[in-house]
Amino acid sequence: MSMSNKRKRIDLLLQTITYSAAAIAVLILSMIVFFIFRNGAGLLNLDLITSDYHAQFYNGSIGEVNNFSNTDKPDFLTEEDHYSSKWGIALSDEIDKQGGLMIEVTYIADDSPLKEMVDKNNPDNETFSLKQGQVLSTIKFYDKNSALTIYGAEYMINELNEVDTFREIVFSTQGGGIRGSLITTLYVIGMTLVVALPVGIFTAIYLNEFAKKNRVTNALRSMVEMLTGVPSIIFGLMGLAVFVPLTVNYTSANSGNLISGSLTLAVILLPVIIRATEESLKVVPDELRSASLALGANRTQTTFKVVLPSALPSILTGTLLSIGRIIGESAALIFAIGTAVKDDISIFGKSTTLSVQIWSLMTDEPANIELASTIALIILITVLILNLLVKMISSRYMKKFV
Amino acid sequence: MNENVFTINNLDLYYGKFQALKNVNLDLKKNKVTALIGPSGCGKSTFLRSLNRMNDLIDDCCIDGDILYNQNNIYQKGYDVITLRTKVGMVFQKPNPFPMSIYDNVVYGPRCQGIKNKKQLDEIVEVSLKRAALWEEAKDRLKDSALDLSGGQQQRLCIARAIAMEPEVILMDEPTSALDPIATLKIEELINELKENYAIVIVTHSMQQAARISDETAFFLMGEIIEYGPTDTIFSNPKEKQTEDYITGRFG
Amino acid sequence: MRIGGINLNTIKQWLTNIKNTFSVNSKKEFVDLFIRSLFLITTIISASFIIIIIIFILREGIKPFVTNNDGLGRVNLVRFLMGTTWLEGRAFFSNLYGVGFIVVNTIYIALLSLVIAMPIGVLSALFIAKIAPKRLSKILRTVVELLAAIPSIVYGLFGSGVILVFVYNLGKVFGIQSKGGNSVLATVLVLALMILPTITALSEVAIRSVGKEIEHGSLALGATKTQTNFKVVLTSAKSGIFTAAILGIGRALGEATAVSLVAGNARSGPSFGLFDTTATLTSTMLQGLKETIGLDYDIRFSVGIVLMVVIVLTNAILNFVKRRIGNVNVK
Repeated sequence: MSMSNKRKRIDLLLQTITYSAAAIAVLILSMIVFFIFRNGAGLLNLDLITSDYHAQFYNGSIGEVNNFSNTDKPDFLTEEDHYSSKWGIALSDEIDKQGGLMIEVTYIADDSPLKEMVDKNNPDNETFSLKQGQVLSTIKFYDKNSALTIYGAEYMINELNEVDTFREIVFSTQGGGIRGSLITTLYVIGMTLVVALPVGIFTAIYLNEFAKKNRVTNALRSMVEMLTGVPSIIFGLMGLAVFVPLTVNYTSANSGNLISGSLTLAVILLPVIIRATEESLKVVPDELRSASLALGANRTQTTFKVVLPSALPSILTGTLLSIGRIIGESAALIFAIGTAVKDDISIFGKSTTLSVQIWSLMTDEPANIELASTIALIILITVLILNLLVKMISSRYMKKFV
Repeated sequence: MNENVFTINNLDLYYGKFQALKNVNLDLKKNKVTALIGPSGCGKSTFLRSLNRMNDLIDDCCIDGDILYNQNNIYQKGYDVITLRTKVGMVFQKPNPFPMSIYDNVVYGPRCQGIKNKKQLDEIVEVSLKRAALWEEAKDRLKDSALDLSGGQQQRLCIARAIAMEPEVILMDEPTSALDPIATLKIEELINELKENYAIVIVTHSMQQAARISDETAFFLMGEIIEYGPTDTIFSNPKEKQTEDYITGRFG
Repeated sequence: MRIGGINLNTIKQWLTNIKNTFSVNSKKEFVDLFIRSLFLITTIISASFIIIIIIFILREGIKPFVTNNDGLGRVNLVRFLMGTTWLEGRAFFSNLYGVGFIVVNTIYIALLSLVIAMPIGVLSALFIAKIAPKRLSKILRTVVELLAAIPSIVYGLFGSGVILVFVYNLGKVFGIQSKGGNSVLATVLVLALMILPTITALSEVAIRSVGKEIEHGSLALGATKTQTNFKVVLTSAKSGIFTAAILGIGRALGEATAVSLVAGNARSGPSFGLFDTTATLTSTMLQGLKETIGLDYDIRFSVGIVLMVVIVLTNAILNFVKRRIGNVNVK
């Protein structure tokens, strides 16, 4: 008997299929990363992280101007930037996120009189000034027509140059910043871990160290395991039905809030933390426990001084993975907190985490794919770093035991 | 017609830097049982695995010298290893039946070679199981899982599986070391019957087993063949002192 | 010795007992008891959540069927379970909800994505475990782990940005007008992408754990490496691969945000055509969440109940099948 050609061809076919399958998997990852990068990298800058999402509007006026600006047009400005050396300000025509026209302040000199204006909405405000990156909508002049956005940046600069003072200036921040969501995410991570880690670790310790190995213990363990099969949206519903009323009744919250969200996430993470801790507790040989007990220590001392220390790396990796999960979780929080993007964050109020903001952006009309991609990029990088950290810790820890 | 099914000339084998076999020269005869004896780790299994090129599966393994199967060097470039393995079958130390039915285990090899005809396969199963002395016990349970069989039965199944390929040589690597005495006895009886049709090379830890069933014996020590020849001679009148020491139990 | 009717020994024992309560050893036991009770409480809390989930979702989800829904009247259960239209009439003004077709959609889509993801996943796993050189294996394994860690919303974003466009253009090639790409096909592709890493990772573990002696046994019989891989290795890893499929389909059934971005929110159905818009149980729960109250809000809990039932039933059926397959061949 020998290999016929047909056999060889089938062999080759199967091999090709196998190789292709693996190639597809790698291809997909690259495509996803590439897409996110391409769309999101553009917006990524420090401003984005520190500014508000919602645009804020300001009305200012200026009295008599004593000192006008003395600065020449800086070199880094282009032809598109229309500059007034008298006022020390450069304006340029841009397109806003909705696709309409806007006039952006691309530069403002340190000695520009526009840096010291009067806040019409808040007269006590001592430091009210126009900032770079903000958007000018209107300048209302005395004795002549106002300069509006539709007339363009060049017109506005020319009109401004002709006067020494004006009635009112209307401007706004660009918005689209993610500071609110970022802070929310950090709060949620903190609160969730504060609840989930102790409950989870203590439960794991009880199941593995204190409880007798009987059917009741197994039943308890199964009941915890069952949580892993539940999709996160169901946890969201539970959060809505249980934790939201709970927090509304006992705190100053009026609706879904960060606390109810964190409690919901804590429940989702419980099985993860419990399993990670239990696995590492199981690895510790019983002889160590026997030795400790024989020396007169009680179970508590034995657990905390002898068994738990070797479980710490596992607990750490479990925590890191949990953080990754929290950052990525969207469906549960849509129900347990809400989808309103806010700039003022209170743990008793609504706001969105980064993931939920992506969903909110994508379900808007029109969908803001750019900003969503930027946020996704931040999330991806963070999750990537977390996972690599986990791998590093695991391998270093493994080296000790192998 | 050459009586030798295998001729080994000046074989050296290295695992990386470690030399496992040194200058091995040996002839393996048709229709004879050749036993390879010697203390643990002296290269017997390594040598056995070279005969069907199963050593290829180990990284870092290099070979110098020739192994001629029916006068063809099996280590020459382009040699058809797959066909070699259909002609030189192997039974492992620990029975390793596939997680399939008894029937599927036996016909696995033939199916891989393209035989599909049910009647043909049924015949192969019956003949192979009969030759392996398992037919009576298995004929009514052919569709049952092979893993349901006892250790000894599983090993006989592995032998049947190898026989189904109609090899010329059957290599056995300590085939009874994982079995109880009764199963061992059954397999030894089987080997006696098998040698009518196949050349058998058997690695064994037990000198008594070698003495019982083999026609020729080769004594390995530290990767070299110290002595080989007819079993009777080796056991009653060894030429080398080391052979005598081993046989009389001074070491090993 | 008795004095005045009281046994001195009893008093002695009494005093010893009192002394013991305050000795160090007893304190240790007391601490143990305290910790034990505390941890028992946390355990009971952890274990009780599965029950809490069931109870509360049932409570909210049953409301539409047993209360008057602020004058809209009860929702008919049979019509709900069999319905082919999500809502007849205007939201907030009608109680005619139907979820039947959505259940069919959900299962249909989950099965399709499994059908796509399984071959790619299992074969990739085979490649990583048995064919690729060690260094490439390690890299690929890490790649798969990272893919599995990507949050679902990011897959949804990718689906929205890339897959929708792809499906839309594909539709045009065939002369089919799809709703901007939102379709069964888009949903299936996104889900297949999401469950692929899980299936690959689990299958890889299962394949790697097949004993070398089985492989060697096959090779020694003159089989090629490919034959060995397909006829023996994959068969031996059957059980683990099946588990991977079960987990994969579980994830596909429960996935919410990613699906809601590409499904298209069909109002009636079921939708079987690849380019038709569709709705799944999860996407329905998320639909229009930003502006909704009253019955339209409560009914989502009912959909949640249906989802849980579907998942539990699917798991039960698949586990049953797995045991049957397991019994025939593998121990």
